[in-house]
Amino acid sequence: MATQTKKTESEQSSNIEQKVQKLRELYADASDIGKKALENVIRLVKSSTSATEPAARPETAGRIGRRQGKVSELTVIVPMAPGGANRLRGFLTALHGSIGNELVDRVGTVHDMRFVFLDNDSKLLFCTAYDGDWDAYIEDFATKIPDILDLQFGDTEGWPGVRSPKVKDHIVKHQITADFWYVANPNLTVVETRRLERIGSATDEFLDKIS
Amino acid sequence: MVDLHDIQATVLRHRPEPYFGTHVFLHIDDAQSGREFLRRLAPHIGSAADWWKADDAWIAVAISCPGLVALGVAEDSLQSFPEAFQMGMAARAERLRDYGPNDPKTWEPPFGSGQIHIQVSVVSPTEAKWRRTMETAQRQYQGFSGVSVLLIQDFGAQPGSLNSLGYKDGIGQPAIEGSGVEPLPGQGRPIKAGEFILGYPGEAGVPLAMPQPDALGRNGTYVGLRKYQSRVGAFNRFLRENGQTDAERELLAAKLVGRWRSGAPLTLAPTKDDPSLGEDPQRNNDFIYANDPRGDQVPLGCHMRRMNPRDTKMSVLTDVNIHRIIRRSTTYGAPYDANAISEQDDASAHGIYFLFISAKAMGTLEFLQQEWINDGTFMDLGNERDPLVGLQEERNTFTIPKEPVRRRIHDIQTFNVLRGGEYLFVPSLSALRWLAGHG
Repeated sequence: MATQTKKTESEQSSNIEQKVQKLRELYADASDIGKKALENVIRLVKSSTSATEPAARPETAGRIGRRQGKVSELTVIVPMAPGGANRLRGFLTALHGSIGNELVDRVGTVHDMRFVFLDNDSKLLFCTAYDGDWDAYIEDFATKIPDILDLQFGDTEGWPGVRSPKVKDHIVKHQITADFWYVANPNLTVVETRRLERIGSATDEFLDKIS
Repeated sequence: MVDLHDIQATVLRHRPEPYFGTHVFLHIDDAQSGREFLRRLAPHIGSAADWWKADDAWIAVAISCPGLVALGVAEDSLQSFPEAFQMGMAARAERLRDYGPNDPKTWEPPFGSGQIHIQVSVVSPTEAKWRRTMETAQRQYQGFSGVSVLLIQDFGAQPGSLNSLGYKDGIGQPAIEGSGVEPLPGQGRPIKAGEFILGYPGEAGVPLAMPQPDALGRNGTYVGLRKYQSRVGAFNRFLRENGQTDAERELLAAKLVGRWRSGAPLTLAPTKDDPSLGEDPQRNNDFIYANDPRGDQVPLGCHMRRMNPRDTKMSVLTDVNIHRIIRRSTTYGAPYDANAISEQDDASAHGIYFLFISAKAMGTLEFLQQEWINDGTFMDLGNERDPLVGLQEERNTFTIPKEPVRRRIHDIQTFNVLRGGEYLFVPSLSALRWLAGHG
């Protein structure tokens, strides 16, 4: 794994001074609220003993997107085909809650999905958090659950179909990498979370029985 | 039907047993000499026609992206190759999870340097045919200015055809639709030819993107070459530390792979090795995991079950038929010694040149390295990794399911260290002639 040499304490503090300096310059034009908040936070950072560098492995999700530990993010903004928002909204409300969710559950790598229509239904904002690299399982979706993907995105402009060899390039074209992304549990995959849930209930059951 | 006459023999012919051979890595000094060399070599490259009854030696040739550049292939044609192929295996280290001891910076020259342009391999069932065929190959490049030899590596000639950690290998290849023969028992349904050979529909029903022009791409495929050095000492120490008796150690060795040393699968021989089963291709792969969902016989995390989960119910939605790859393992160096336990034994030069052949070898290799080799999520095994080819981190474990409580072995080490690797294109026979004449 990409190892990072440990920085000395003095290196770290001069690093922080530089960042503070840069931020103060940036916030010179900010509102009074912003300026005051920044000074408060800077004081907090300086007084805290654990002014740590970011984790040693802020990898990317591969081709595009950000990754934290085992979890990756994907944000897409894509124009809708005429009438597409209506159809997609209909599908999402009528069908996705039941069969769609069930199929996505089986995927086992998707933490969440969010569909938001923008600008009078002319665009779709789609956000998801998922486990692993960007394109690891796209081909699997294409052979295992192609219809659910084609219903989710078939009403966006230019969707080539999930079976198309062009589908990855198409997604990349509309994907925007987040500038910043916070993940509470970067090492918990969907699969691991489910396992811990099972272990939690099993442990409680065991303790109930012996108490 | 697949055009077997135009496909290189090496794509479909199984490695013979016993086997003898050589990999030769070449550098092209100027385009004209490179093309002339291919023109001379092309008539000696075997085709895949009647591959199932072939018992002769064969020569195979593969070309890296820098090799295509050196041959003068046009820029728009180069751009039509997959990005990972253009970048080369070393540059894809992050996607391949080749860190630490597997980092390309530590590879042996000439791997990863961009110097390797052409790989010529000779594979033979007998020593005599190997020598004759090798002479034929050598005649095409020796004393031929403009093509220089970077590395010559002999392989095979192993007692019992065992690999560098003492196992029979190469069992359980995917069956390919339209390749001319019925699948062996247990091989599963034949997989669409387009997964392995360019120009045919794949499992998704459409052909994969093919390098252009068609004359260059069609009936070709890719090979991902990975040179591993086996840390035999670490492997033997691991067996000794975790097994009290010979029988316990051999059972542990079988649990790591899913097969006994002889190749007999644990599903069919759960308690002790059965060499006659191991050597019988009609029986040694004829099983599924329906009666072993928890891995009590074949651990979920063992090498064989990871590389081909068959009917295992996995935690992640996966199409097992699109991650298959043709594997050609070629063992080099001194044979496996069960008594080698020193640290010096870890550093000695023996191991395996793995050749992974597929029409999407780069994508499949990256998938395997990320998901099935260096992670355990798909089998609900957390951070556990493939015990044979995984890159182990500190305090990694290997779980052997058992009633009533699983056994978890701590501190598993990296038993095969990556010493080099390349992505190469395996042109069809007509594409070889095209390359020799064009550019």
